[in-house]
Amino acid sequence: MRRSLIHFWPINLAVLAAAGVATAVLAGSLVVGDSIEASLRDLTLERLGLIDHAVLAERPFAAELADRLAAELEPGASVVPVVALRGSAVHAEGGARAARVAVWGVDAGFRTLFPGDPASQALELTRRPGQVFPSLVLNSALARELGAQVGDQVVVAFEHRSEVPRSTLLGGDDPEAALRSLRLVVSAVVPDRGAGRFSLAAGQVAPLNAFVELPVLARRLERPGVANALLVAGPQAVDRTAAALGRALELADVGLRLTPAERWLTLDSRELVLRPQVVAAATAAGEAGGRAVLPLLTYLANRMETGGRAVPYSTVTALPLPPPSGFGDWSVGAGTARPASGDTPPIVLNRWAADDLGVTPGAELEMTYFTVGSRDRLETARARFRVAGVVEMSGLAADPSLTPELPGIADADRMADWEPPFPVDLSLVRPEDERYWDAWRGTPKAFVPLAEGQRLWRSRFGALTALRFALERGETPERAATALAEAVLDRLSPAELGLTVLPVRRQGLEASSGTTSFAGLFVGFSLFLIVAAALLVALLFRLGVERRARELGLRLAAGYPLRSVRRLLLAEGTVLAAAGGALGLGLAALYGRAVLAGIGGWWAPLLGSPFLRLELRPASLAAGLALSLAVVIGSILLTLRRLGRVPVRALLAGAVESPNVDSRPPRAARRLAVAALLAAGALVAWAAGGPGEASPGLFFGAGAAVLTGGFALFAAWCRGSRGAGGGLTLAASAARNTAHSPGRSLLAVVLVGSACFVLVAVAANRRQVEDATARDSGTGGFALVAESAVPLTADLDSAEGRAELGLGTDDRAALAGSRIYPLRLRPGEDASCLNLYQPQRPRLLGVTDELVARGGFRFRTTVEPTAEPWRLLERQLEPGVVPAIGDANSVQWILHLGLGDELALHDDRGRPVRLRIVATLDTSIFQSELLIPERAFLEHFPDSEGFAYFLAEAPPGRAGELARRLEESLARYGLDATPAADKLEAYMAVEHMYLDTFQALGGLGLLLGTLGLAVVLARSVIERRGELATLRAFGYRRRTLAWLVVGENGFLLAVGIGIGAAAGLLAVAPHLAASAGEVPWGALAGTLALVLAVGLAAGAVAVSAALRTPLLPALKSER
Amino acid sequence: MNQQTSGGLSVRRVSKSFRLGSTTVEVLKSASLELADGEAVAIVGPSGSGKSTLLHLIGTLDRPDSGTIEIDGRQPLSLPEAELARFRNRTIGFVFQDHHLLPQYSVMENVLLPALAFRGDRRQRAAAGQRAEELLEAVMLAHRRQHRPAELSGGERQRVAVARALVNRPSLLLCDEPTGSLDGDTAKAVSDLLIELHGRDRTKMIVVTHSTELAARFARRYRLTDGRCVAA
Repeated sequence: MRRSLIHFWPINLAVLAAAGVATAVLAGSLVVGDSIEASLRDLTLERLGLIDHAVLAERPFAAELADRLAAELEPGASVVPVVALRGSAVHAEGGARAARVAVWGVDAGFRTLFPGDPASQALELTRRPGQVFPSLVLNSALARELGAQVGDQVVVAFEHRSEVPRSTLLGGDDPEAALRSLRLVVSAVVPDRGAGRFSLAAGQVAPLNAFVELPVLARRLERPGVANALLVAGPQAVDRTAAALGRALELADVGLRLTPAERWLTLDSRELVLRPQVVAAATAAGEAGGRAVLPLLTYLANRMETGGRAVPYSTVTALPLPPPSGFGDWSVGAGTARPASGDTPPIVLNRWAADDLGVTPGAELEMTYFTVGSRDRLETARARFRVAGVVEMSGLAADPSLTPELPGIADADRMADWEPPFPVDLSLVRPEDERYWDAWRGTPKAFVPLAEGQRLWRSRFGALTALRFALERGETPERAATALAEAVLDRLSPAELGLTVLPVRRQGLEASSGTTSFAGLFVGFSLFLIVAAALLVALLFRLGVERRARELGLRLAAGYPLRSVRRLLLAEGTVLAAAGGALGLGLAALYGRAVLAGIGGWWAPLLGSPFLRLELRPASLAAGLALSLAVVIGSILLTLRRLGRVPVRALLAGAVESPNVDSRPPRAARRLAVAALLAAGALVAWAAGGPGEASPGLFFGAGAAVLTGGFALFAAWCRGSRGAGGGLTLAASAARNTAHSPGRSLLAVVLVGSACFVLVAVAANRRQVEDATARDSGTGGFALVAESAVPLTADLDSAEGRAELGLGTDDRAALAGSRIYPLRLRPGEDASCLNLYQPQRPRLLGVTDELVARGGFRFRTTVEPTAEPWRLLERQLEPGVVPAIGDANSVQWILHLGLGDELALHDDRGRPVRLRIVATLDTSIFQSELLIPERAFLEHFPDSEGFAYFLAEAPPGRAGELARRLEESLARYGLDATPAADKLEAYMAVEHMYLDTFQALGGLGLLLGTLGLAVVLARSVIERRGELATLRAFGYRRRTLAWLVVGENGFLLAVGIGIGAAAGLLAVAPHLAASAGEVPWGALAGTLALVLAVGLAAGAVAVSAALRTPLLPALKSER
Repeated sequence: MNQQTSGGLSVRRVSKSFRLGSTTVEVLKSASLELADGEAVAIVGPSGSGKSTLLHLIGTLDRPDSGTIEIDGRQPLSLPEAELARFRNRTIGFVFQDHHLLPQYSVMENVLLPALAFRGDRRQRAAAGQRAEELLEAVMLAHRRQHRPAELSGGERQRVAVARALVNRPSLLLCDEPTGSLDGDTAKAVSDLLIELHGRDRTKMIVVTHSTELAARFARRYRLTDGRCVAA
């Protein structure tokens, strides 16, 4: 074997090199995948420091919860409180703005989470002597964006969440109240590494971080001593952290108050509404303790009117009527407090109100009050009641604490001094109203049945303002309060109280494996290159066998069993493959480094600052070697399998093709061709006849079947055409000459055809940005997409709302003719191809009814045929299931979901919710998020208040101006506006980056394929040098012979390109049908022309070899 | 496709040497040869004496170091490449020791190959076809016209090669060991065929052979000795 290997060293060296290339590409692809994954892991570990878990709260809590939690955790664990806010920043002098700024309030403990990181030591935020404004540390990314340096002043604006939900009556609708800003001095700029890169969300692009001293930020939020997140470093499991948090929590941490009175306890919330889970837990705790429970819902009636007399601005309490005993006297002096008959609900007036209105039981009364309507606007509603009774001003009916401490009201001496967070007409307040206020403060003037009150006034945050618990006889209020608080907290998980415990390190590391396995992705990218290398190995090995045909024939003639001859060749092939593999492993690192360098450049917009590093994992290298050896040895085995079919006499004559006696096409090839083409037809028919839109997968399968069938047909033709006529024209001669070596010709056609299939399919997928103004385009016809860091509670689409937001006359003029559709946004991770990490909690958009009615965008699939796919969001599904729409690419490739599949999440109350995909959009601007109906959004994610995502229709050509105006005027809200077409283009640019990578690596495969083609032709020419010399002897000119060889080459190319292109076009037929106008046909034709040119160039090499062959030696050579 | 009989063959003082490593081997040393129209001659000599070299020089497949070769009154080696190819196609027919048939073509197509080196009109192509049919009849292989070389015996292949050499009615037929790879009976049959066709077409014919039997059938014979043609 050694002598054979040495004797035939040139061809063996070529086989070894090709095997080396196959291994290098395969193992190198795994190396690239490992490297990206490892680099993303590095980023994760870097941005988190020692942090394992994070506790995120919707509402601020006392920062000292960190100490209580640490005490509950194992020794060594540390808990650091921070304030985490979204906001914006403006350079005070330069005016440069940055949106989507992460504002962190940190203290010295934060630095301990990044030991050894010099950047964290720079997070020294204490004010220096003489420094007027507090300190600010920026990371490099934000400093660059602002053009800020140490010593510069920067104004940071951020969301200020009021304790009362804004989208309730008492939350207030002043958008300015939702904002706070701080003027700060940049004390340091830290690199985008370590603490400078700190983020709780996975993302490969450096965040825009602004660090402020925790107390400074808390004070500006008007809540000194609070935090809204805890960073936990410790080895315990997340469940244990959650359990410890449960033990450490106090009611006050989550805004709950348990106020003792003489005979009862009152549980209420700083939010002025009790969450349903709290109500359920507290009721259960109360009842378990044998206490009577009184649920209360107190609301404000703008007016109660009957018989021409009216009372303005009264509180009304809904409660069980009559109330249970134990909560004070309930003395109905006249009439009955039972529900009135008929449809009109009952109301019980207090004595004062009854006298003031001059009503007696049985009279009808109309009440007007505010409700929160669409876009969180206050609307006036009316309800009619029948007076069921009059309660005396004593006991429960005289209790002013039934009314929560309403902001702007509770502390007013007179009604005329009210400054409520909703519009009031204080001119309606009469002297008698002032007297009532003096005497009874906010004591309710009317009482309605609890169910009726909840029907009218419930909000998405809850349906009770307080719960009262009766005390046991002899029980002290303080002891009862302690016991009840413990019982309530025992029944509630932190999630139900609005505190989410996230295993951020584990999730980040899991997300580092990417949306798709990077190793798999790059093996896919390099697949054609690998296939080409394997085919080249087969081709070269076959040539080696052909060169030794006589030797093999002699061995067989001498009585060697076929098996031993095969074994010999296989052993040689294996040695070559192993040696090539060893060489390839060395090259794999180089290939990996080259590809990483390449994607570092091509993917720069996606990757942000460079962070990729080479990671060589022995397991991956071993897997790459094993796989490539399997592929290479498989190729060799296929070649050897054919050896047994060649008669010994043919081998002795130097041929490994069966002599040209049998001109019938091989049945197997014919059968394969027929079967493959039938399969293609069946797949197309299935796809065309199936429900919904044509499945891309079926068409791709059909394309692959046509490719296989085409190759099989060519194989059959090669064999069948040997005895056929066809004339002696140059073209016919060229075609027939290719059939003379069917095996080699087939391999060459397979190489070229596969390359074309891949390149056509990829190129056809490369789309240009369509007409972005069309409603059925990916932009939906919207000119602009905007997103604000601080949600807007004012309506940007109305004149009043624009005025509230402080837009000037010029801004309003710029907005003329435009229409803005707001959407609710639940922050999360980017679910688009812009994020290399696997999103764990994708962003969600709440789609308003207005947008559903407007429609637009192009849908790729729907769960059922419909002319109004947006209406699918209106479907009522099972409890806990919400219909969702997503961009087809994100749903399929990033979230790995299909139509009808569900994504399981937890909502703001810790309840499981499943988002079911009911439709997918075709290449839209919604690639970063999932869309759900607003009603479901409000139900499940009530804490995401206001609107932070906006779509704007604008007159043609005004998008740029509109974006500029909105960004300038709403800079404090961190509004970032982008022309919708640009956003779409950004997504498509990433798609094109992937296609570029695929094409680049596919191009290398084509190069290898072309090398194979050149080898085939050169070998063919060398074998036929006698034949060519004979033709020259008979007067054929060099040029004629050159054309003959070129013709042969061209024929193989034409067949390969024809089969590959036809199959490729069929594979992407649904895409072509949907967007034929967007396919860059020119580029596609150019790609095919390139294949042809490269192939012909390979032919030219062969021609050159043919014409350099000396005439006489060729004539003398044996055939 | 006219038969060219406008002159004889004149080889005057032709020399040819080859370099083998650092050594120069002078194969032909001022060799001369004359052949009139319709005349046939056999050239014999030991292996390595330069027989085939002389034949290839006459066939314009190679160029002499010195001396001239005139065929039918023309000196083809002075022609440019394209003209030389056309001259060779029209004037010279070759029969090689190895038949050099193209395996992918049928017998008929192999015979026609020289006729199709230059694109002719329909009439010329029809005439070539007719001529090929006649030749296949003449070499008694008309019934194998659609067969391919692999399906023929060695003698049959060489007869096809003879027919191919004559398809363009060359004025000069050059045969390089035409029976060298054939057994006795087959060799005799091919010899008979060559002599018969020569007699019929009156071409000039040079046969290079080891075979004393074949050489004996020619009236004129030369022996190549020490690089020169000497009448045998």
